[in-house]
Order: sequence, then C-alpha cells, then structure tokens
Amino acid sequence: MTTPGAPPAPAERLRVRFTVNGRPVEHEVEARRSLADFLREDLALTGTHVGCEHGVCGACTVLVDGRSARSCLLLAVQLEGARVTTIEGLTPPDGLSPLQEAFRACHAMQCGFCTPGMIVASTELLAATPTPDEAGIREALAGNLCMCTGYVNIVRAVERAAARLAVPAR
Amino acid sequence: MSESAGGWVGVALPLKEDARLVAGRGRFLDDLGRPHLLHAAMLRSPHAHARIVRLDASAAAAVPGVLAVLTGAEAAARSGPIRPLIPTTAAVPDHCLAVDRVRYVGEPVAAVAAVDRATAEDALERIRVEYEPLPAVVDPEAAMRADSPLLYPALGTNVVWHDTLTYGDVDGALTRADGVLRERFTIQRYASTPLETFGALAEYDAGTDAFEFWTNDQRPGLTISILAASLGVPQSRIRLHCPDIGGAFGNKRRPAYLLVCALLARAAGRPVKWIEDRIENLTALMHACNGIMDVELGYRADGTLLALSVRDVADEGKNLLTPTQHNLIKLGNIANGYRIPAVRYEAWSVLTNKCPSGANRGIGKPFMCFAIERAMALLARRLGLDPAELRRRNYVTADQMPYTTPPGAQYDSGDYPATLERALERFDYARWRAEQARARAEGRLLGIGIASSVEPAGTNLASYELVTGRRAASGSAEAAMVRVEPDGHVRVSLGDPSSGQGYETVVAQIVADELGVTPEAVSVARGFDSATTPWLYLSGNYSNKFSVTDVGAVVGAAARVRAKLLRIAAHRLEIDVADLELRDGAAVVRGAPDRRLAIAELARTAYADVLGLPPGVDPGLEAHHIHQNPLAQPVDADRRVRSQLVFANAAHCCLVEIDPRTGSITLRKYVVVHDCGRELNPLIVEGMVHGSTVHGIGAALLEEFRYDETGQLLTSTFMDYLKPTAADVPTIEVDRLEHPSPVTPLGAKGVGEGGSIPGPAAVANAVEDALAHLGVVVRSLPITPEQVWRWLRET
Repeated sequence: MTTPGAPPAPAERLRVRFTVNGRPVEHEVEARRSLADFLREDLALTGTHVGCEHGVCGACTVLVDGRSARSCLLLAVQLEGARVTTIEGLTPPDGLSPLQEAFRACHAMQCGFCTPGMIVASTELLAATPTPDEAGIREALAGNLCMCTGYVNIVRAVERAAARLAVPAR
Repeated sequence: MSESAGGWVGVALPLKEDARLVAGRGRFLDDLGRPHLLHAAMLRSPHAHARIVRLDASAAAAVPGVLAVLTGAEAAARSGPIRPLIPTTAAVPDHCLAVDRVRYVGEPVAAVAAVDRATAEDALERIRVEYEPLPAVVDPEAAMRADSPLLYPALGTNVVWHDTLTYGDVDGALTRADGVLRERFTIQRYASTPLETFGALAEYDAGTDAFEFWTNDQRPGLTISILAASLGVPQSRIRLHCPDIGGAFGNKRRPAYLLVCALLARAAGRPVKWIEDRIENLTALMHACNGIMDVELGYRADGTLLALSVRDVADEGKNLLTPTQHNLIKLGNIANGYRIPAVRYEAWSVLTNKCPSGANRGIGKPFMCFAIERAMALLARRLGLDPAELRRRNYVTADQMPYTTPPGAQYDSGDYPATLERALERFDYARWRAEQARARAEGRLLGIGIASSVEPAGTNLASYELVTGRRAASGSAEAAMVRVEPDGHVRVSLGDPSSGQGYETVVAQIVADELGVTPEAVSVARGFDSATTPWLYLSGNYSNKFSVTDVGAVVGAAARVRAKLLRIAAHRLEIDVADLELRDGAAVVRGAPDRRLAIAELARTAYADVLGLPPGVDPGLEAHHIHQNPLAQPVDADRRVRSQLVFANAAHCCLVEIDPRTGSITLRKYVVVHDCGRELNPLIVEGMVHGSTVHGIGAALLEEFRYDETGQLLTSTFMDYLKPTAADVPTIEVDRLEHPSPVTPLGAKGVGEGGSIPGPAAVANAVEDALAHLGVVVRSLPITPEQVWRWLRET
C-alpha cells in the first residue's frame, strides 16, 4: 500500500539526446511521453499546440530533420540524435520571419491556435517548392486544420511570402 | 503609422494580436501553470442510458500520485446543482457529474486529480462502476411519444417545450393559396469544434474561502453566477480569468467542468487543471441540435408567398443548461428575408440520450435557412421560375425597412434584392447557367446553388418568457472600461473575451477615434478578468453581439473619458469646451493648433496634480459604461418578441461539379456578397466571412455526429468526424454592400455567424441543381459522395 500524495511509482525512464532549435537537450523521460508533451511540459516551448492527439489536426506540427512531423504521434525517446525545430526556432530573436510577416499582413489566422503548425508546414513547403501555385499550397497544408479562416488568407499569405522570398537578395 | 485626426474605424488595420499568435506567443489555457499544479482526468459513461448501481473509486484514490477523487455522489453532496441559463420547465437537479443515472455516452461519472495527466488517466482505470443499462431514446420523435423511455422520470416527459405560435391568418391563407409546398427537412448534429479544446484551471484559497479560475469558457458572466451558486460562495469570492481563447463558436460553455476542477482543487488543497481531449470534445462537450422541420409554404401562382407554417423539432440531447434556445432564436427570422404575412411556428424542444446540445455558430439559423432556402428552390422548380426570380418577388425591400416580421423581429436596414443581384453579377450567373447546359449535354453534372439569409445579432433573453411564462433574465447589454493611465496611455477592458475576433485591434481603433490618439496608444486587455473587467450576467463572447452591445459600451466609456479630458483641458487653457477637440494625442484649440495640451499632461493633472482640476471634477481618468441595446423589449401581448436584435444579410452563389462515376462533389466556385453595415475593420470582417462560410460547407458535405440506435456515437475522432481541409474548399470570393444599422452606435451589424447560416443551403441547392433532372431532392445533410452515388444508381 502506498500513501496518497507520494510520487508515482517510477515508470520506465529513458535517457534521450537530441537538438531542439539548435540547442542540445538531454533528458530522462518516461517512454510514453509524446514529443508534444515533452516540448511543452519539459522544455516550456508552448508555441507547439495540441489539438487532437490523434494525428489529424496538425496543430502540433514540428520539423524533425527538416521534415514536418506530428509531435503528438512521436514519442520523445524516438528522437535520439534528431534535429527538432519548433515555431520558437522559426521565429527570429527580433521581429518576425518573412513568412510570419506575410501571415500577419494577410490576417491569416483568427484564434491563432493552428498558426504555429501552419507556419511549420508552410516552411517545409517553401523550402521544397519556392513558388508553389494555389493548388500546391492547398495540398501541402491539407494536413493542418484551421477552424477559423476558411484557409483563404492562409493561402494568400503563403503566396505572398513565396513572392517576397523569390526576389533574389542583391 | 501616421498620427491623424481620427478615421481609424473602417481601416483594414493588421491585427495587434496576430503579431504574437504568428510566433506561437499566444497564451492559451494549457500554456498556464500554477505552483503545485495537479492535472485532472474524467471517467465517462460507456452507456447512452443506464442506472449507476455501484461506483467504487477507492482503488483510484490509492494510486500513488493521486491527490483527489470525486464521484457523482460526492459532487452532489459538496455542491449544488447547476443553474440553467433560464429556469425552463425542465428544471431538475443537474449536477456536474452523473449521480445515479447516466444519460449519454461520454457523460462524466467521476474525476481524478493527480500529479500529472498520465497518472490521473491510469487511476481512472481503477474505478469500478456497475451499470444497469436502460433503454435509450435516440430519435427525437420517438422521445416525444408517451411510451418513450424517459431521461427524467420526475418530469413525466422528455418534452421540454411544445407550443404553437401563430401570427396572422395562416389557415385562411393556406386555404386561399393557389398551391402549398409541403416538405420535411432534417439537419444533423454537428459542431464548429474549435481547434483548442475546452478546459479549466481552478485554485482554492482556504484562507479566504475563495476560488480562482482560468478558463476558455466564452460566457464568463453566466459561468461565474453558476459557479458561485453551486459552490455556495458569494460571487465576490470568485475570480475568473480568460486567457487567449483558441476559437469558441458558441461551443465553449460548460460550467460543470469548472465545478469539477473547483471541487477537486478544494479537496486536494492544490490547483487543478483539466484540458479536454479531442475525443471528449467530440463526444461530450456539445453538439448543435439535430432537428426535423415540416414546412408548409402557401403561394400564389405568380410565386408570391402568402403563408408559412413550420413544425420544428429540436433534439436537445441531455441539455438542461440552455434548452429551447434553438427554437427561440429562429422564431423571429423563421421566414428568412421574405415578406410572408402569416406565420405559424410549432416548437418542440425534446430531450434524448445524446450529448447535450449547445450553442454553435448561428444556433438554429443554419437549419432555418436550409429549410426555407431549400423550399424556395423546390418552389421555383415547381413554378418554372428561375430561383433568383422567385426570391426577387418575395424579398423584404429596402423601402420597407425597418420591417417587422410577423413573430416580432425587426429587420433594421439593408437591400436584400441588391445583395442577391451583386452576388449573381460577381458569380457571372448567366454565363454559368449556359455552361451548365453545355456540360449537361456532355454528360457532366454541374449545379448552381443560390441561398440568401438574414444574420441576426444580439440576444434578448426575455424571449424565454414564451417558454416559462415569466421573465427571469432579459435584455441585451455589455460592459466596458476605458482608462487613460497616468502616463497618458490608454487601457481598455471589455466583458466579452475575444476568441479570435481581434478585439484588441478593433476596440483600439474605436477608442483611438474617440480620444484622438492612435491605436498603438490603446492597450486592450487580453481576454477577461472578473476582478478588473466590468461585467454582467449577460457578459460574454456569444450571439454575434459585439456590434449590438459591446461597441456601445466601449464608445460610451470612451466618451466619458473624452468629456473629462476636454473639461480639464478647457479649465487649464481657460477656454470653452466647445472650442476644443481631441486629436493627435492632445486637446487642441480649434483653429489654433499650437494651443494644445497633450493627453499625457492632462493625465498628469488628473492623477498627480489634482489641485489643477476644475472645481467639482474628481481626480482620475477612468470610466465604465454598460450599453443596453434599446431594441430588446419584453414579449408583447400578441406573443411577439425580438429574440434577436440587429440584422445583417448575405447572398451566396456557388458552383459544384459532381463526378458521375464516384459521386464526389467538388466546389468549383463560391461567391459571397454580404452586408454587415459599417465595417469596423474590413480585414477582420472578411476573415469572418471566409471562415463562417467554410463552416457552412463542412456542415453541408462532411460533418456529422452520427449515433447508432443504441446511442453510441460513431464519429468521435477527426478520422471519422470530418472537417474541411484547405484542399476541400475553394477560395471564397467576397464582395459587400454597406447599409449601416440605424440602431447600433457605429452602424455596425453582426458578422461572426455569417456564412454558417446560408452556406449549408447554398451547397445543398447546388448539389440538387446538378441532379434535379434525375428527380433528386435534398432533404438532409451532410450530402456525402456515398449518398450521391446511391442517387445516381437509383435513377
């Protein structure tokens, strides 16, 4: 018999090492801890949001080695050696990135809960396809639900960012 | 941004809040913590209807890391029942957890607070519940029968409200009519499902016997009142905060869950947070009522509408908090934008063994619009008229404004025929009709859908007198505070917490104009805090009410501060108040712009150098104002009432193409023309129109909470409850007319519900238009590819 209020029986904990937004992290985590919970609870990176916890809504999207991934469907212990980038890592220390500026200029959000995942997914898209057409943008973002905007301004924002980024810096 | 003399209202100003949200720097409920925080999880019923024979939670309490366990019986012993919005005839005790009986799948029966959520969920598995299953009633018409299983045997019926309201000689008009169209339409259960789920954080301070809550509950005024009554503490010892809210759409009001957290926090002596998971959200938070509408529409041979008779059954599920709202809120607008002199409305509000119904974007009006606009489409075909022409012959026209509908709603302004004409023009209607005929000849299925709607804003709770026979709450009002701080910057708070409507920006624009400053000089408080925000029982983010009450509260409070600033400046400059204006951040002498006193200097006088104030003027620069919309009046002797107050309108026109091989439906074009009066910030307005229209598309084609006959929910994840994705919808093309409301302070109207009202009807009309030559009639939603495929096979 244990005393109520005592710490939980030690679940299996594993040591995991990877980088988050360029900084090395080394933690002991329960095997069952999701990457989303790890980022939010253990690293206080609360910009990654959790909307469904079953891999459909895309709110928790992060980049793992440059590819978008659902952090609610990954376990933190699976990330050994990986490079994880969250919305915090895509935000410059001062101001906003061109993609973020475009989202703001186009009012490509309302409640803002899906927005970090949208920025991450759009980042991946623009890295692979610098000048996507509308259908390409809609296809690339089809894994991220937005309940507020009807997607119109999000598509506009990605088009705007693509146009700005495509102008070669001279 | 340049300094200017006002003119901020109406500008498409990029949003202040977007700057943080785009960087993931919003502060949502689940981002908040407290020292020694515990996490809660809830055990829920697997049965639609069952008696709880025995519930043993002792093993859960013994799990290491568990600090508190709450059963229904304990909750009933430690807290009072939840007070409904209005005590309807169905006021039976409703506790925050099921006590002796469960009435829908997902109803919470026990809760655990533990050191983390995983431990709390582990502990739930140790709770033993013995259920005795009871027959469940899932179909509302079955629930209305005398031999139906009863949710509440004490009531003797499942019917919360049944009444027939008649305005004018409906039977005479139907008898004299050249024809009567009779149809039955049904609507499914669906919900807006904000991406952030519901939740609460509760903390109990034993030293002062006070509770503090953080929650994304969008209707704090009502919720505080319920919590205080159930917890048995005065409202002065409840403090409630709303942080950033990740969408709400009406769905986020469930005081029961806040009460569970409060009882756990008091028992554990530590703060407790509970965040709903998505399955809980889809299963048990709330659904829009499913419903059945029998429509009789009497008409003359030329298409003139003479009478409308509607029998409307609202399936409330187990809703004891706000039953009858789906009925009451469509009563005044049941004839949509049409001039129909005689109207009968037979209301049924019925309990069943399903998730509680609740507010969902447009409450009831999407169904009103679906039924009426479907009837108009069918009547046009019957009469051989173009559907646009039938509407033209029946709209309330601009020169008839303000127009009072037979049940008592007042349509304040607008030009409904012109709205439709603009939509047809923007859609290029004639061209697409020709294209449709050409495609048909090639075996392709194109369909064009037209739907128009009124969009009401503001709620008058006096309408519930129709149900209860006496007035409890009534009217429509909101509260705001404007304060010029000692350094001259402006702070504003509002009883309505934003859930994505951009209040920090649009309210700053309004106040900037009143005080002659820039929006950057105005900080609007995020969310809500009952200790610093003025508020009422009616306060909250609901009912499309921002333009109806909130704007008036903000303008009123700012006007008081403005008057005081001018009075102080006049005294200091030894000049008449009438010779001063507020502009460019200062009180300026008209015609002599060099004679001026900066607002910061006036604030210094008001707070620091108070001997410099005019005689009789109190120190400080802070004002509260509560705006009560004068249109809200009691029910009259003929049972007419304005259950809603200010009416925007819209016309939708869309094009679908159906794949004859698979039944899949593609929306190829979608045009919205709307008129929400004066647009306070067009960027926000247009976003609302886009988003609400896609809610309508989702309801038309994808979303359904589908129950089996035993009351099991079959669509409890986003893998089977389908939401529109970016790839499912086209760009929504938007145009506008702007007929200001004569009854709101700045001429604005509601726009938040927007396309959710005509959207389902427009898409349904388009699908039917593509298939009408095969004899297809759309009577229910959603229209799935499977349904279309069956139609194509059957014909």
